[in-house]
Amino acid sequence: MVAPGRGPPGQVGRFRGMRGIFLHVLHVTESRLQFQDIRRRFGRLAVLTGVSGAVGPGGMLLVTGPNGSGKSTLLRCLSGLLAPDGGTIEYRETNGGPGAPLDAAERRQRVGMVSPDLAFYAELTVEENLAFFAGLRRVPPDRGLAVLGRLGLPLDRLAGALSSGMRQRLRWAWALLHSPRLLLLDEPFQNFDAPGERTARELLAEHLAGGGLAVVANPSALDFDHAERLDLGR
Amino acid sequence: MRNASTWAAEATSVFVKEWRCEFRTRYALNTLALFAFTTLVVVSVSLGPLGVSRAHGTAVLPVLLWVILLFSVAAGLPRSFVQEEETGTAMALRLAATPSALFCGKLAYGLTLVLALEAMLTPVYVAMTNLKVVSPGLLAGVLAAGGYGLAAGSTLVAAIIAQARSKGTLFSVLAFPVLLPLLLLSVELTRLAVAGSPPGVALPQLLLYDASVTVAGLMLFPAVWNP
Amino acid sequence: MKNLLAWLLWFVISAVIVGAFWYAPLAQGFLGESSRILFFHVPMAWVSFVAFIAAGVWSLLFLFRGRRPKDDRAAAAAVELGLLFGVLATITGALWARIMWGAYWNWDPRQTSIIICLLFYAAYLALRSAVEDGDARARLSASYAVLGLAVAPFLFFIMPRIMFSLHPQSVINAQGKIEVESRMVQVLLVGSAGFTALFFWIHNLRCRLQALSDRKSAL
Repeated sequence: MVAPGRGPPGQVGRFRGMRGIFLHVLHVTESRLQFQDIRRRFGRLAVLTGVSGAVGPGGMLLVTGPNGSGKSTLLRCLSGLLAPDGGTIEYRETNGGPGAPLDAAERRQRVGMVSPDLAFYAELTVEENLAFFAGLRRVPPDRGLAVLGRLGLPLDRLAGALSSGMRQRLRWAWALLHSPRLLLLDEPFQNFDAPGERTARELLAEHLAGGGLAVVANPSALDFDHAERLDLGR
Repeated sequence: MRNASTWAAEATSVFVKEWRCEFRTRYALNTLALFAFTTLVVVSVSLGPLGVSRAHGTAVLPVLLWVILLFSVAAGLPRSFVQEEETGTAMALRLAATPSALFCGKLAYGLTLVLALEAMLTPVYVAMTNLKVVSPGLLAGVLAAGGYGLAAGSTLVAAIIAQARSKGTLFSVLAFPVLLPLLLLSVELTRLAVAGSPPGVALPQLLLYDASVTVAGLMLFPAVWNP
Repeated sequence: MKNLLAWLLWFVISAVIVGAFWYAPLAQGFLGESSRILFFHVPMAWVSFVAFIAAGVWSLLFLFRGRRPKDDRAAAAAVELGLLFGVLATITGALWARIMWGAYWNWDPRQTSIIICLLFYAAYLALRSAVEDGDARARLSASYAVLGLAVAPFLFFIMPRIMFSLHPQSVINAQGKIEVESRMVQVLLVGSAGFTALFFWIHNLRCRLQALSDRKSAL
């Protein structure tokens, strides 16, 4: 595995046990996400009222709660798409020693996001959509095409002619296009059939095994081992 | 690190994507062309078979040309940003694109759209209204520089209103005061081109306007586009 | 201290009113007492332009100095007041134009400039009312205000040049040709200063009111 995405490779840092050596040898950047006391309101409605959490390399945070408890809002704040009214979000991609946290603009471009609100260009084919976004992210489209190959999606189908399950596959391919270190997954298995969900879980497991981070909201089945939980229920 | 050549590649891929989508739906071209030619027919018919005296023609016809261009652009150009928000593709763009490259790509698309419209409209306009242009070279220059200003101002305003309600009417309300200096200068220069007079101080002013709007757009677009 | 300043402002405005009607002489070439309206029209038009610049500056501060809500409030209040003073200036100007030149509207360069200003103000306020989210409303309207600031100089330099070149026989702005007596100048200057102070005082009140209103709705 080569250092993914764009930007400078991680700095050389101290070894931290076998895992540190493992990561260092593979030149994979070690990442860490931490957020504290996130608050966000929409008009008079206070959706997030002081939410905190942290995810380390290879870790996954499960965000649970009833409808309207702010799961999607939290993910959008973490991705940099929404500015919280209060609190701090620190996301670092460094190898070992402390580095400066990325600001919202950098976070936006480094994360991989799956969300029901993500849409693609209906007039372009699946392949053209991926090629366009790969061009924007300045990476070759190979990774996205590989993911689509595993999930199964005809490349020459117009994005406007996809069923909801197929759209979800495209969202996963888009999210993994630039091999991000941080995955933000909002209802990631929505509309998937059983094989699709199985493949997606494999992709997620591989991502975590490679030292990536994930924050997952509304998982369809809450059977993830070794996952921290954050419950936003009232 | 970002470098110039890949930034340009990013802007180019936005430009290519816009035109690829446009060719598959033909929405903007159809809207612009239909609006422009319908208005042109109205103008020409209203001026009547008797035509218009030369003095009146020189005064009025340049204005009408630019009014047609302005309203055609208002009808067809804002869609490039409005549709991103309405179809939901804006979210993917916000996460993937560099704002300045996105703005330049969209601006290039808007510019080519306006230039294409002018290329289609102007010869027909001149023929139908019997307008005798003494300096066609200057006219072409004014159309290019004025068209650029139209595209640049409209692109930024379109990005602003795309995130608001009542986008259709709001675009005209916001864009008109911003584009007014451009219109005044373009009309004046068109009159000079028709009359064959030298452009004088108006042409540098028009180019300065184009530069100002471009700089303002590049400076403001990240704040408009991102939270 | 604030009280003292408020009383001082009251005094200055009163002095301007008295001065306009009793102290300053009538201008040459004006019909009857009509020139008195200038002492109110000119300062209000001046304040309207000041408001335009102020809104632009506060918008710049908002966008590039930390997105502070008070800068956004200040810009919006400046536009509201600019609209108020601008409308008053336009009405007084039109009344005076009717008396002097026989028509309420002549597309004289200054009349045109104030109308463009009002169009900008109205557009800004229309934009604000069309965006629900407070953060988006602030940054979108601030961006528009800065765009207006970038474009405004062209309006104020192009307009007079074009109008004078295309319509040489049009009614030349008579104000440019008045022999202004020193007393009139005094009242005009004091009036301009007074109205500017009035603008900033009302603006300050408006900002504080809006701040309280925002805090209340956040509870």
